[in-house]
Amino acid sequence: MNADVLLRFGLAVVIIGLCLAAYWLLNQRLLLRARNNILTLFSKLPDKPVLVYFTTPDCAPCKTIQRPAINQVSRVLGEDLEVVEIDATERPDLAKAWGVMSVPTTFVLDTRGEARYVNNGVARAEKLLEQIQTL
Amino acid sequence: MTQALQKVDHSALKANQLFIISFNVLAFILNLPILAAFVALVMGIGSLLKVPGFGFVYKYVLKPRGWMKPDVLDDNPEPHRFAQFLGFLFMTAGSAALFSGATVLGWSLVWLVAVLAALNAFGGFCVGCAVYYWLSRFQLPGFSKQPPAGTFPGMKPKVGASQ
Repeated sequence: MNADVLLRFGLAVVIIGLCLAAYWLLNQRLLLRARNNILTLFSKLPDKPVLVYFTTPDCAPCKTIQRPAINQVSRVLGEDLEVVEIDATERPDLAKAWGVMSVPTTFVLDTRGEARYVNNGVARAEKLLEQIQTL
Repeated sequence: MTQALQKVDHSALKANQLFIISFNVLAFILNLPILAAFVALVMGIGSLLKVPGFGFVYKYVLKPRGWMKPDVLDDNPEPHRFAQFLGFLFMTAGSAALFSGATVLGWSLVWLVAVLAALNAFGGFCVGCAVYYWLSRFQLPGFSKQPPAGTFPGMKPKVGASQ
């Protein structure tokens, strides 16, 4: 009985692991897409990390969680971080080019303009800071 | 073509999906087909009442206690109802297979529902809704809604409710 439950638990972990791997691969694809579209945002790359934030005016979690989190990150890093906010309703072309299908979505770009992280959905300040600090 | 959208609380949908995922995984680990049948029953009742099956937990427990905050968006409720109905059919077929001894088929269907619910809850993509919008392109009776403007069919709408 217990061995059966353990075996089934192991199988469940493997299935969930496969799903997470598929999700990771999807994120890698988004990052690749972002790398290919970096010049849609800048003519000249800023020599610092960039946080690209896709939002819409009426996105509730953007207002209540994501925006305050980005403000917090900006306060901590000051001039060492460039934040680019894009309204997906005003710039659907950019949202499409970057593969953004829901908001909030944030991309963390390193100093060379390479997209290193993508967060689908709300990303807390701690997570964003950690991502930026590992660049 | 413009269409009237309604207020849809996506937190209620998400809570429903999280319960479906949890119960299905638990049913598999503990080898409890009855739990899978219970999920099918709740989804069936939800489909009949046109509400998310486990939405009552969100309504009476999670939301009042502030454990989940409302995420009200302008959206079509019909594709979400259709998605739940599809899930109910798969769960019913899965439960029937489990009770009749076809365990591989049964658990495969249960996992399929759990994975698709996870894709919706964590990835914001509703496969059942995408199927609904795909059927609406063929102008099938009962499938009249179009995705909200600027939204990929099946994806969570980008634009929030206007109030």
